[in-house]
Amino acid sequence: MESAVTHTYTCSKPEELAAIASEILSEASGRRIFTLKGPLGAGKTTLVQYLCKSLGISDNVSSPTFTIMNEYLTGTADPVYHFDLYRIESENELFDFGYEVYFYSGNYCFIEWPEKAKNLIPATSAVIEIKPEADKRIITLSL
Amino acid sequence: MAIESSCDETSAAVSNKGKILANVIAGQKVHEAYGGVVPELASRAHQQNIIPVVDQALKEANVAKNDLQAVAFTNGPGLMGSLLVGTSFAKSFALALGIPIIEVNHMQAHILALFASREDEGVEYPEFPFLCLTVSGGHTQIVKVHDHLEMEVLGQTLDDAAGEAFDKIAKILGLPYPGGPLIDKMAVKGDPARFKFPVTRLSGLNFSFSGLKTAVLYFIQKQLSIDPEFIDKNLADLCASVQHTIVESLVIKLIEAAESEGIEHIGIAGGVSANSGLRSRLQAEAKGRGWKLFIPPFEFCTDNAAMIAVTGYYKYLNKQFSTQDSAPFARFSGMK
Repeated sequence: MESAVTHTYTCSKPEELAAIASEILSEASGRRIFTLKGPLGAGKTTLVQYLCKSLGISDNVSSPTFTIMNEYLTGTADPVYHFDLYRIESENELFDFGYEVYFYSGNYCFIEWPEKAKNLIPATSAVIEIKPEADKRIITLSL
Repeated sequence: MAIESSCDETSAAVSNKGKILANVIAGQKVHEAYGGVVPELASRAHQQNIIPVVDQALKEANVAKNDLQAVAFTNGPGLMGSLLVGTSFAKSFALALGIPIIEVNHMQAHILALFASREDEGVEYPEFPFLCLTVSGGHTQIVKVHDHLEMEVLGQTLDDAAGEAFDKIAKILGLPYPGGPLIDKMAVKGDPARFKFPVTRLSGLNFSFSGLKTAVLYFIQKQLSIDPEFIDKNLADLCASVQHTIVESLVIKLIEAAESEGIEHIGIAGGVSANSGLRSRLQAEAKGRGWKLFIPPFEFCTDNAAMIAVTGYYKYLNKQFSTQDSAPFARFSGMK
């Protein structure tokens, strides 16, 4: 999909992610599905931790690499779904766990390693890319 | 009969008064003696796997469907679509046989694997209260076990699980996924003190392994830019050093927990309990500190239905049955 708008953020220490996360959420205010791209160790899960914090999640946000999906609750708001498709070998595997229930729930979905299921990621997703550089990360949001 | 389908494995087990008669996991090689016909099935293809594994478990146990007294099943935490298969199967199977159903929490079951046995006698179990370190690809927890069914999470990982740290660092080192067991194998030939990686020390009993992953990544990138063959030349030492660091992170917190709780019966559970570095380090600590250490047989450590059967047995004794409106849950929200 051709992206119309991009925003770029530079992050040199993790503490800056709180502000970046809330900016991302307000720029993408209508969006509920966010994909996160970037190499191993780029900080995808860490950014999701800050995005969830910004959404008022008090649950422990940990890596879903093994579990594939973690669900987090807030006191009152809807649940947030955190996916990691790293271990997925074929898109068919998404049907086995009922991905559509989550992706089309209208709730926030953060999806790491979306490359593993290109055809099943809704076209309306916001795309976050994290590029590690020497002492900083370049974070791009495409809407 | 017990059913597990929370993540990758579809598994069925049959037990009699807590003693395991059969424990079948889809995709694993079935013992020839039983004339196994469970085909090589994909992970998480629970719908295709469930009937063959249940069938095979009954055959191995030499138990007829009509002799079953209850059906226990994992109702969470896990993947909703995966859990639904096990839940729906267990409910309809029990309904057809006119026997009760029992919900089992997957994380509680991992710990009760310490009580899983194929033997009648001569098996030693930990005394309550004891501490259990549950370490797998998906979980890292220190749990205080007050009773078979009363447990308290004292600490857990705030980001990556210990098994995941092994697998992802293996990937950075160019080993195939899942590379945790390969690191263990290579580590035996290496020097654990050769490279120093940081042990993340959080206050309290929580763990963090994400920083270690990034530290190894940067270290490797830097070394590769100097010498492109750095990994090949130093693989055994790298594996030994990484393994040493992960084991150290786990053991430091376990010691802290044991000291502050004044508990000397210690169990480990989960797939990473097979790691030889963790085992030998814990055995050494146990010797020095007068701990009594309990490690379940490996077949009960990874995701399996035998641990669901054991948990189901204790709930059966307590008459903790559920009704047909039982629904699975995805999220870990404690040991209930």
